[in-house]
Amino acid sequence: MTINKKGQMQMTETIAVLFIFFVLLLFGIIFYYKYQQVAVKEKQEELLAARAMDTTLKMLFLPELMCTKREAEPEDNCIDVLKMRQAKATFRKYMSDYYFGIFSYARIRVVDLVDKQELVLYDKEKTKVLDNGTMVGDWEKLEKTYFVVTLRDEIKGQGEARYDLGYIEVGVYS
Amino acid sequence: MAYRDKKGQIEVTFNWVYILIAGAVILLFFFGLVFKQKAVSEQNLGNDLVRIMDSIFTGAGVSEKTKNFIDLSGLADYTLYFDCVDGVGEYGLKGTSARVENEVDPLFAPREIKGTQLIVWSLPYKLPYKVIDFLFVTSSNTKYFLFGGNTGVFDVESFMNSTEGFKRDYVTSEQYKSIDPGKNFQVRLVDLSGDIIGKGKEVPEKLQAMDNNKVTAVVFRGSNQVDYYQKEGERWTKLNYNTPVQIVSLGGERDAAKYAAIFAADDKVYKCNMQKAFKRLKYINEVYSGKAEEMKIFYSSKTFSKECFGYIQEGKPNLIDALSSQANLLQGCFKDNTLSNCGKLIESAMEIKTVNDNLGEKGDCITLY
Repeated sequence: MTINKKGQMQMTETIAVLFIFFVLLLFGIIFYYKYQQVAVKEKQEELLAARAMDTTLKMLFLPELMCTKREAEPEDNCIDVLKMRQAKATFRKYMSDYYFGIFSYARIRVVDLVDKQELVLYDKEKTKVLDNGTMVGDWEKLEKTYFVVTLRDEIKGQGEARYDLGYIEVGVYS
Repeated sequence: MAYRDKKGQIEVTFNWVYILIAGAVILLFFFGLVFKQKAVSEQNLGNDLVRIMDSIFTGAGVSEKTKNFIDLSGLADYTLYFDCVDGVGEYGLKGTSARVENEVDPLFAPREIKGTQLIVWSLPYKLPYKVIDFLFVTSSNTKYFLFGGNTGVFDVESFMNSTEGFKRDYVTSEQYKSIDPGKNFQVRLVDLSGDIIGKGKEVPEKLQAMDNNKVTAVVFRGSNQVDYYQKEGERWTKLNYNTPVQIVSLGGERDAAKYAAIFAADDKVYKCNMQKAFKRLKYINEVYSGKAEEMKIFYSSKTFSKECFGYIQEGKPNLIDALSSQANLLQGCFKDNTLSNCGKLIESAMEIKTVNDNLGEKGDCITLY
């Protein structure tokens, strides 16, 4: 009887130890899972910010838009409006073939602060199709970056270069 | 008593066996975890590396004419590879799944780089307006030997000045036979005269001990053609079997297309990357054609003299025709990947340049670029 009781005690003790062990293990797993969730989210945000910067950088130096002079030397932070108007059509025409490879899912807008005009040069939104067939946006965040530029328009200047102040807004969809 | 002792003995033995098994399982679990984590870390390292490289290449690509020296000492044991097939470039860490594909940026590099310093340099490619930035990637242990004299085909002085910080030497034709690779990972010889390196000719003695794919050569033939060679034993073997590789450029200082021929691993990589440039040229040509149309409408009004309008549409050559000719030639250029039909793009580019110069200098009109 004494041995049986001792055995029962030992068994209960072992079960208790195992229980505590598994509780601790569960805590560990939950903690690790939560940490990973936060880490993944932070990493995603970091990547999104980097993509926004890269896209802005590419945009500013795009040969389709940038002003040049003499031997095609670039003028810094300047957009040639005559080229820009044509570029919009070219971006749209070759969006899936080519320009998606440069800008990915993004929205690029150029705003003329003098004439209060704006032009959406590129817009490729992440989308999904619902069960009822409607297409809706499938993104959580639009990370925007801004850059001040000058807009050169020689036609507005009647043959002479006229420079307006403006900005580029580059938004990337997450 | 004897019975109780025996039971105790069994209990103690059982406990030890239990501890051993449980310990082994726990140890195995942690070993498994460590190995898994190691594999994940290597994968992450590879992914991080290619992502960072992508950012560096983006930065270098847009900041014209800049050279970037990137410390790779932490990755000295890894090999970076670069490839380009059917207009799609690829680079990554050899032996891992970490890689990046790129259909846009022309990247001229050796097939493999293994060293402590990566060198990235960009130059704008113009035909005659800016088309795209060419990215040249090499390493501090990839050595370039130029020889064959200043034939007028290639401006050696300009190249040497531009590539300060690179491992390159200009040697005389007489010194060719005694070229020493030193402790470099690979060697690229550049024959500017076109008659020192040839199929079946002997490889310099000190290079013969190196691996075949680590000794390559580019030979300039005339002003706009090159051939690629690779060491095979003690002799040179030609890589582009049939026709020489066409260089499509307008010449001048810092000729991006010619420099690209020096940094490209072989004819296939060169042509593949040039295809990317011509694809971009097609789109930019459309943009400039649209601009030319707007200029035409603007100058067709009576307010302005007919001179500008003449340069744009009526004169010979004129802007609209020259741009249209370039667009048509590009169609032919895309038909085969030998680039042999792309040579004609030089003429149309020269025409566009002439008209653009006329617009700016003679007519004081709006210029195309």
